[in-house]
Amino acid sequence: MRPLAILVAGCLLASAVYGAEKLSTGIIRDLHYGEVLFDFYQDDYFSALNKLLVARDADRLTHHETEAELLLGGLYLSYGQHQRAGEIFDRLLNESVDGSIRDRAWFYLGKVQYRRGKYDAADVAFGRVGNELPQNLDAERHLLMSQGLMARGMFEPAAEILESWQGPGDWLAYGRYNLGVAMVRMNRLEQGASLLNKVGLLSDTSAEISALRDKANLALGYAYLQQDFEGQAKPVLQRVNLHGPFSNKALLGVGWADASQDNYRQALVPWLELKNRDLLDSAVQESLLAVPYAMGRLEAHGSAAENYLAALEDFDTEIGRLDIAIQSARDGTMITALLETDDPQIARWYWQLENIPDTTQARYLYHLIANHELQDGLRNYRDLMALQQHLDGWARKLEAFDDMVATRWIAYEQRLAPTNSQLDAVELDRHFANRDRLAARLEGVEQTRDVAGLATGNELFLWQSLQSLESHPAWQAEGMEEAREKYRVLKGFLSWESDRKFKYRLWQKKRSLSELDAALAEAAQRRDNVDASRDSVPLDLEKFSQHIASLAPRIAQVRAKVIKALAVQQNEIQVMAVRELETQKERLATYRIQAQFALATMYDRATAASN
Amino acid sequence: MKAVIRNLTLLAGLGISFVLSAASTGAGQAEGLDDQVQNLKNEVLELNRELFLLEEELLFPANTQVSVFVSMDIGEYFSLDSVQIKLDGKEVSNYLYTEREVAAMYRGGVHRLFLGNLKTGSHQLVAIFTGTGPHGRDYRRGATLDFEKNIGTKFVELQISDRQIKQQPEFLVREWE
Repeated sequence: MRPLAILVAGCLLASAVYGAEKLSTGIIRDLHYGEVLFDFYQDDYFSALNKLLVARDADRLTHHETEAELLLGGLYLSYGQHQRAGEIFDRLLNESVDGSIRDRAWFYLGKVQYRRGKYDAADVAFGRVGNELPQNLDAERHLLMSQGLMARGMFEPAAEILESWQGPGDWLAYGRYNLGVAMVRMNRLEQGASLLNKVGLLSDTSAEISALRDKANLALGYAYLQQDFEGQAKPVLQRVNLHGPFSNKALLGVGWADASQDNYRQALVPWLELKNRDLLDSAVQESLLAVPYAMGRLEAHGSAAENYLAALEDFDTEIGRLDIAIQSARDGTMITALLETDDPQIARWYWQLENIPDTTQARYLYHLIANHELQDGLRNYRDLMALQQHLDGWARKLEAFDDMVATRWIAYEQRLAPTNSQLDAVELDRHFANRDRLAARLEGVEQTRDVAGLATGNELFLWQSLQSLESHPAWQAEGMEEAREKYRVLKGFLSWESDRKFKYRLWQKKRSLSELDAALAEAAQRRDNVDASRDSVPLDLEKFSQHIASLAPRIAQVRAKVIKALAVQQNEIQVMAVRELETQKERLATYRIQAQFALATMYDRATAASN
Repeated sequence: MKAVIRNLTLLAGLGISFVLSAASTGAGQAEGLDDQVQNLKNEVLELNRELFLLEEELLFPANTQVSVFVSMDIGEYFSLDSVQIKLDGKEVSNYLYTEREVAAMYRGGVHRLFLGNLKTGSHQLVAIFTGTGPHGRDYRRGATLDFEKNIGTKFVELQISDRQIKQQPEFLVREWE
């Protein structure tokens, strides 16, 4: 396997065109809203959407309601759900009085219309935006407005918008590039050149702008060549990075700029460099013809003939390979191989293929997926694959949930009998009855001020001892006066002591009683909880079982639809791939005829000269 | 000959297409299949929502659910590498952050680091943050929270913020209702 990273869509485009706005969040007041942003900022729109929908359903976004709606609309838009996005923005416009929200809603509504190709409606929505739109969105708005105008062939107003641009430079560069290419295509070279030149001379070193700069220089260089301004074409083409993806076409163009001024020796320099590069590139294919052509013009007919013959051989080999590739695209193996290396879970606008299988056909994949139409098809295919994986994951989970519920049933049934007997053994009612008896007794003691009722064990013992003395036969006998006096004092002391402590002891007992009340209330609460769970568990489990049973066929149904759509989409991609490869083959066949014709002409001339 | 090759060349050269063009943004796609894909996405999103709620209700019922979130407020003095969480002395999560995740948190994203179940009663959460602190030094700090788990769901936020005066990071643990 050879590592190959292919960025299908530019990062800037990813966040700008498809991605929702990077919100300035301020303080997060609902954790779940922050959780949605965590996925959103990583461009994982599917997860963000799911979390947002769940959090909204569970009423967990109360502090960010409007922002969440706006984000939801943006996420729907990012995920290609135009209709839903439009509904949300419409609703926000009707409900929100906040200027910044309304501006953003108008902006997104315009974007929805733009994405649907309804440019007039988009213009109306964009025109309603006030002055509270964040700068990055306002920049995007201008770009989309000019794009919409260009799509309708209205280049002058599109140019005016770009000229009065106040937004970030990188956005402007994309706008200018597009308009420049459009102008060139309309044969308005001067205006197109001015725009492309501005982009081609940008000093930004970022990868995206560097690539755009190369594209602008290439487009302008070729525009000059087409209009026979070869002298102007060369310096522009020489600005293209020699090691970038556009270097082949630039080298070819530089050669033509020299050749057009009859400087064939100089033209051979880039063309010979090109000749040894990958033959898949159309510029390299053309160099195989350009090299002998230049040699012929330099009167090196022998070398020219050799090179034409070598080119014919190369073209034949390549046409043979293409036939195999077309066959494998037709029978689906090439696309399957391409998609097998892909992880559909990777954010859809940051699609990178880390490993392309190192097969003969694989070398065509790079060129295939550079095709926009094919990219759209692949994007849909990847989305469908991701949906299928989600559904498969849920189907497996549902089975596990079902097992879990079954296990919980078993556990419940096993626990039911012991729980019941434990609950019966607790005899809480008896404890409550005891408590009531105690309370009644305490109340009696308080009402009758029965100090003995609250006496300690020792005090009771002393009372009983004194009472037993009174009932003793010798108690009234002579000579017991002293003892009776002591008894009187002692009894008086005991009464006084118990009376003195009565209030405190009563308070203590009442406090103990209220503690007992609390403990009993807690016990009762726990018993009620257990009772409630004993009743609710089977109901809950039944509810889960029914829910799982209802979801399983729905998953299967949607899954079947996804698989069907996948097959249709795959077929569409295959048709596009075959068409693309056939185009390459036709081009090679044309070059082949050119080479044969040139060779035949050379031979004719040589024969005529020798005759 | 020259003209023919030139024409071919120019075709190839101007094959450079628009970027950001309407055609490349989906307006030109085959509507039928595209609509079908949109509808399927809607159906899956709807199913997903139900399934997520079912999963949460089944696996993490409200009366035992505990979630721990990590957030960042500025975070100028600390570059986060990982967070470890212990609940009642037992490690329940040890998460290594990617740059992309940290960037998302820096912009306001909140990461749910742990979702689990706890019985009602008193519990202790210990979070250990590792990363790079001021002056590029390795940094390791802990934060502890003693909390009561009641009947409702419990959300705990671990927040990394800056203490401007000391020019040091600060790690806050906060309970949410």
